[in-house]
Amino acid sequence: MDSSETNFFRKHEFLIRRLHSLSGLLPVGAYMIVHLLTNASILNGVESFQNLVYQIHSLGKILWIVEWGFIFLPLLFHAGFGVVIIMGSKSNTSQYSYVANWRYRMQRITGMVALLFIGFHVLHMHGWFHVGFWKTFAHAIGMAQFSPYNAASTAGEAMQSTILMPVFYFVGIAACVYHLANGVWTMGITWGVWTTPQAQKRATIACAGLGGFVMIVAISALVGFCTLDTDKAQEREIEMYQESVNVGRIIENEEKLSKPAQKKIKRERRRK
Amino acid sequence: MIKNVYGENLTSFTVKVRRQASPDSQSYWEAFNIPYQADLNVISVLQQIAKMSKNAKGESTTPVAWDCGCLEEVCGACTMVINGRVRQSCSALVDNILDENNDVLRLEPMSKFPVIRDLVVDRSRVFRALQKIKAWVPVDGYYDMGAGPKQDRKRQEQAYPLSECMSCGCCLEACPQYLKVETQRESDETDEQFEDRKNAEYDKNFVGAHAINQAMLFNSNPTGKMISGERLDALTDEGGIQICGNAQNCVAVCPKEIPLTTSIAKAGRAATIHKIKKFFDSNEK
Ligand code: HEM
Ligand code: SF4
Ligand code: SF4
Ligand code: FES
Repeated sequence: MDSSETNFFRKHEFLIRRLHSLSGLLPVGAYMIVHLLTNASILNGVESFQNLVYQIHSLGKILWIVEWGFIFLPLLFHAGFGVVIIMGSKSNTSQYSYVANWRYRMQRITGMVALLFIGFHVLHMHGWFHVGFWKTFAHAIGMAQFSPYNAASTAGEAMQSTILMPVFYFVGIAACVYHLANGVWTMGITWGVWTTPQAQKRATIACAGLGGFVMIVAISALVGFCTLDTDKAQEREIEMYQESVNVGRIIENEEKLSKPAQKKIKRERRRK
Repeated sequence: MIKNVYGENLTSFTVKVRRQASPDSQSYWEAFNIPYQADLNVISVLQQIAKMSKNAKGESTTPVAWDCGCLEEVCGACTMVINGRVRQSCSALVDNILDENNDVLRLEPMSKFPVIRDLVVDRSRVFRALQKIKAWVPVDGYYDMGAGPKQDRKRQEQAYPLSECMSCGCCLEACPQYLKVETQRESDETDEQFEDRKNAEYDKNFVGAHAINQAMLFNSNPTGKMISGERLDALTDEGGIQICGNAQNCVAVCPKEIPLTTSIAKAGRAATIHKIKKFFDSNEK
């Protein structure tokens, strides 16, 4: 018989589905766009990108609340319930190969690709958990690459580690962008914003435009990191770190520097 | 005259039927050879099969069971899957189908409903969904309530296409979010008990595009509107409109070309507003 847990989901099915729909755009989709725009600032130079990362990390002790409350938890909810939704359906594009049916199926496929990609991406850059022994382990297997006070150089190195990395990122990002753009279109139907076939056609054009725009931003970021001179970037970041600590723009925290940068700073100090 | 793959005039064609003797037996394919005549429809092919009662191998066999009523695409009883696509067999012309698909006609029962026998399925879930969302105008009472309010021309014109639904189930068969629900009868159950259990099971699952569309039809009727809140409650209940994933197959296969996705979008909007109003105002019904 039903456990009370499944009863809860059943009773609130409408609310949960509406929250799932909403969470795809707010905060998850909105975050994704801001994230890609931030990354694309690398084309402007190491300084632009590093300054944006300083700004994010200026939240300091409350950063984790923002990370978990506005990014990780909503994403985990959207992804987790997304998998539940996928399991409760049966695609039939081989029988009914209409464009809208393919878009429906692609929404599910790109959702699964996004799940795998984002899972890897967060491990690759952020490392999932910032607990001592785990962080050491993640580093050892080439994960947890990103150091916020060596933002550009560590991201660049992570991207340039193998030729497969940019290819993998491109596929993952393209899946996320399709999923967002097509998701905004289905959202418009789910919430009753565009109702008639004509309006839905116009909305398709607008959503394709949104997807194209976000994809250009994403490719800019990818190209930026893949072509970055990471040694030069690191030098500049160390200068910026020391200056910024001196003028009080950021709080001294060597944990947020990459290991090689920490060593370099120590060596310099000894020389002085 | 229809030509076969070799460019010769077609003298006969093959019909493959997915057969099933009873609700709980295995399904299997049986082939039949039908002499070609111009202007056959699928129903007349099935009549031919019943008359021959022989399969393509020349073995004698039971006639294929199928359902029909109006024979003019208004009752929905003859709906089945023909060459992979759901449609009415009475309006499916063999010449057109053979034109698209060399020499073979494949007939299957709808896959989202329990099979009773061969091509006959139990469509009771389609009608249960109409009960659930109260697809009627409530005028029953002990006294004459007089004439209802007048409907203006524009609203009539908007409502008419929605009212053409014949509950055939095509939109449900093609919907990737609509999954088969089959309840097995237990040996010690009365008819009523089984019926109740079956309906409870239906009510937990997706109501489907046709019911969402009917809810919008009756909510736009000046008298039907009186219980619009109850219909929206039903649409936001378990198995309600939230299950729709916007694949839009329903609208593509509907033989009556009903603007189902427009109804779904309007119902989605109305349902959300209804829920928000109910949350903030306990008087809202
Ligand atoms: C980059 C991260 C993601 C973004 C920006 C995103 C965004 C969206 C948006 C805007 C929608 C439309 C909601 C609607 O139709 O009402 C949506 C739907 C959906 N998402 Fe995501 N999503 C993301 C990740 C995922 C993941 C990881 C999964 C899980 C595998 C997933 C599964 C789904 C599913 C199944 C739907 C369809 C829901 C339905 O039709 O009812 N999404 N997503
Ligand atoms: S909406 Fe169309 S496809 Fe669905 S039951 Fe009615 S007539 Fe059939
Ligand atoms: S639009 Fe909704 S109801 Fe229609 S086929 Fe798609 S999922 Fe099913
Ligand atoms: S027999 Fe009524 S629709 Fe075919």
